[in-house]
Amino acid sequence: MVQLVGSLRKELADSLSSCRVLVVGAGGIGCELLKNLVLTGFKNIEVIDLDTIDVSNLNRQFLFQKKHVGKSKAQVAKESALQFCPTANITAYHDSIMNPDYNVEFFRNFMLVMNALDNRAARNHVNRMCLAADIPLIESGTAGYLGQVTVIKKGLTECYECQPKPSQKTFPGCTIRNTPSEPIHCIVWAKYLFNQLFGEEDADQEVSPDTADPEAAWNPEEAAARATASEKDGDIKRVSTKEWARSTGYDSIKLFNKVATRQIHQLFKDDIMYLLTMDKLWKKRKAPLPLDWQQLENHGSGLKDQQVLGIWGYCKLFQHSVETLRSQLEQKGDGAELVWDKDDPPAMDFVTAAANLRMHIFSMNMKSRFDIKSMAGNIIPAIATTNAVIAGLIVLEGLKILSGELESCRSIFLNKCPNLRKKLLVPCVLDPPSANCYVCASKPEVTVKLNVHKSMVVFLQDKILKERFGMVAPDVQIEDGKGTILISSEEGETEANNSKFLSDFGIRNGSRLQADDFLQDYTLLINVLHTEDLEKDVEFEVVGDAPDKAPPPPSNQEETNSITNGNKDSAQPSTSSKGLTCSHSAVMLAQP
Amino acid sequence: MIDMIEKEEPIISEEEAAQYDRQIRLWGLDAQKRLRGSRVLLVGLGGLGAEVAKNLILAGVKGLTLLDHEQVTEESCRAQFLVPVTARGQNRAQASLERAQYLNPMVEVRAYPDRPEDKPDDFFLQFDAVCLTGCSRDLMVRVDQLCSQRNIKVFCGDVYGYYGYMFSDLASINPTTTASFCSLKEALEVDWTSEKAKASLKRTPVDYFLLHVLLKFRTDKGRDPDPQSFAEDSQLLRQIRDDVLESLAVSGDLLSDDFVSYCFSEMSPVCAVVGGVLGQEVVKALSQRDAPHRNFFFFDGRKGNGVVDYFGPN
Repeated sequence: MVQLVGSLRKELADSLSSCRVLVVGAGGIGCELLKNLVLTGFKNIEVIDLDTIDVSNLNRQFLFQKKHVGKSKAQVAKESALQFCPTANITAYHDSIMNPDYNVEFFRNFMLVMNALDNRAARNHVNRMCLAADIPLIESGTAGYLGQVTVIKKGLTECYECQPKPSQKTFPGCTIRNTPSEPIHCIVWAKYLFNQLFGEEDADQEVSPDTADPEAAWNPEEAAARATASEKDGDIKRVSTKEWARSTGYDSIKLFNKVATRQIHQLFKDDIMYLLTMDKLWKKRKAPLPLDWQQLENHGSGLKDQQVLGIWGYCKLFQHSVETLRSQLEQKGDGAELVWDKDDPPAMDFVTAAANLRMHIFSMNMKSRFDIKSMAGNIIPAIATTNAVIAGLIVLEGLKILSGELESCRSIFLNKCPNLRKKLLVPCVLDPPSANCYVCASKPEVTVKLNVHKSMVVFLQDKILKERFGMVAPDVQIEDGKGTILISSEEGETEANNSKFLSDFGIRNGSRLQADDFLQDYTLLINVLHTEDLEKDVEFEVVGDAPDKAPPPPSNQEETNSITNGNKDSAQPSTSSKGLTCSHSAVMLAQP
Repeated sequence: MIDMIEKEEPIISEEEAAQYDRQIRLWGLDAQKRLRGSRVLLVGLGGLGAEVAKNLILAGVKGLTLLDHEQVTEESCRAQFLVPVTARGQNRAQASLERAQYLNPMVEVRAYPDRPEDKPDDFFLQFDAVCLTGCSRDLMVRVDQLCSQRNIKVFCGDVYGYYGYMFSDLASINPTTTASFCSLKEALEVDWTSEKAKASLKRTPVDYFLLHVLLKFRTDKGRDPDPQSFAEDSQLLRQIRDDVLESLAVSGDLLSDDFVSYCFSEMSPVCAVVGGVLGQEVVKALSQRDAPHRNFFFFDGRKGNGVVDYFGPN
């Protein structure tokens, strides 16, 4: 005779009250998920989130109120959930799931792990930890009206990394520095400028004209001459704290003005005039128009002309935000750096102003702060209802797993409109693991194309192993018969190798490297394919990946199709590739 | 249309802009302003009701009125998250008020302990949208008839175990859109004896018939299937299934016995799914943005299927 506890069969209800589950993330999906778990009867829940509460979270992360802004999400989520279920046993961690404390043993404590994340790096990491611990993982994501849920079980289903995911959209350096044609190029430039002036200097974030732009040269000799003749030695030099201390002895306001004005001259006039000398660039493009500060200043106050006032307004905003940011920097002391944050008003003002000034110079319509914030901050619009639906689906899949009904688990997609078969929620059968997966195959292997003479060890570590292959703390050995250690995850041990080139260690075409991440219990064999022949701005290629070109501007269709993996990675979807077995993908493309 | 213009205050406060930022970026400022001018009635604060309340309050409507005559029981504490565990014996709407208000102080939340059946017509007419959960078929039909005549948007929804549905009637006196809606009465009284209807049965979600069964149970017993009377209620459900399918002149095979043990109590994740879809439909209707689902949404929590379909006269 069937016995029910609420809606559930007694055996299931009993197992819920004894099992331990882990929720990774206490944001949009996490709050809804925690509520559902507790109300469904889960008794032992652990939740982890490194973030604190922001006012913009309050439209959907309903476990938080205004008074909680600034506090730990995991901690407050726990407290709120306990309010409506005081008997639940909830542990909160205000921490990053990538912290080595959360090792395979930690993960093995749980019967089920549920992701409620917003970035790919963490998803990759949890994917590997769950594979290593052999614990079922429920993965999910939402963006706007769209969402999806899927189940990952080692050996049974695809893992999170079985299907290659499109990587982050980047723009070529010369587009950013010389020939921007879209607002986003100007916004990226403005963020680079912020870092050059106030933040961590990065050689990949140059803002001055790129004299080596291949498009600019009528002939190679001319390009070389231009490069040597250039007085620009790269970037705007940040005013050092020493110089700053000296200058505050004088009339600070005048100096504030002078410094910011000087920068405006250089960035928006001098540099632009320099670009104009690279006349080949402007044969087929509209040439940029340098800003004339003096002229603007004289006309600024009187004219009703919106356009001029707009520019003048942004000049003043630029000036003002530079002043504010400089004093922020000064207050932080010697060697300090600022990190750009979309929610820091002067930082946002700075990017708004700088981007708009640049847009104006390059004949683009200026944009509102609101729109610039979306683009600069990679903001994904979000609402409570989508997260509520997805979190409900996560728990339903969880119940199937705990009932031992893995074969009935599905990937479920939430559409904005019903598909041709009237489905708003589309369940799809789970795919088996991919045989060549570079994560969950039995002996994962990849081939990487790069130039061994130009690739440094630190580049291999940071851009390839960490960024591209999702390792957190890689150890690398060369398979040279001697097991030479190239990179050690122990801090400082192989630091001396960082700026050496791979070829310095005898690495060449056909060499093999063994990369391990011991925390993730992950070993990857890398075959090195040496080449001198990569596209400009491309430093390595993973053989077998689709070519990493800058994607075409998204049509409306693609935008509605996007289910992102988070705002800290690509904007493209991780929808299942099966167009045949599952009507979802095919019909999504048909949407207007 | 004059109504709408009067409701649109041009200014959005700093506080609203900051809090609603992520949703304004999705549906736009105009939509947010329309929400901000809308008053909604929500009947029933069970599991589904609480989800809808949360979603509408977070969305930033002008006012949400909670109406529920039921008392808080031990079961209600398990079913929804607005009622404090100490509130046993209190009225469910009133007990939910405090937490509901905390969700968003910018929304005017009110609670009334009365039976919806006892409310006069003009009580319902003060709202822009009415959302009925846990209500009898007769009440839903009556309120739908009354409200849709006055251009008040009507929504119904329920969750029974793993199953749930929502219905909407957005019929307006000045239909400017191509989409049309029919009354709940018409939607439930489809004639299955016609050749056309019989032919369409193959493509018809059986959830529609399941809904008839559960509504009849509710009418006959004055409550929903109760886990405490599992054996008795299961038998009654099977009986009602037979009666309903026969009276609709459709095959008894349409609904197997399977559903019986899965339609007890309101399952929290199912409330979340149905409440999410229902909440979003209310938001869409109030903000006059994006095509509404016509006119039913059925969710089967066991299969993960969520289907939109139209029932009513063509």
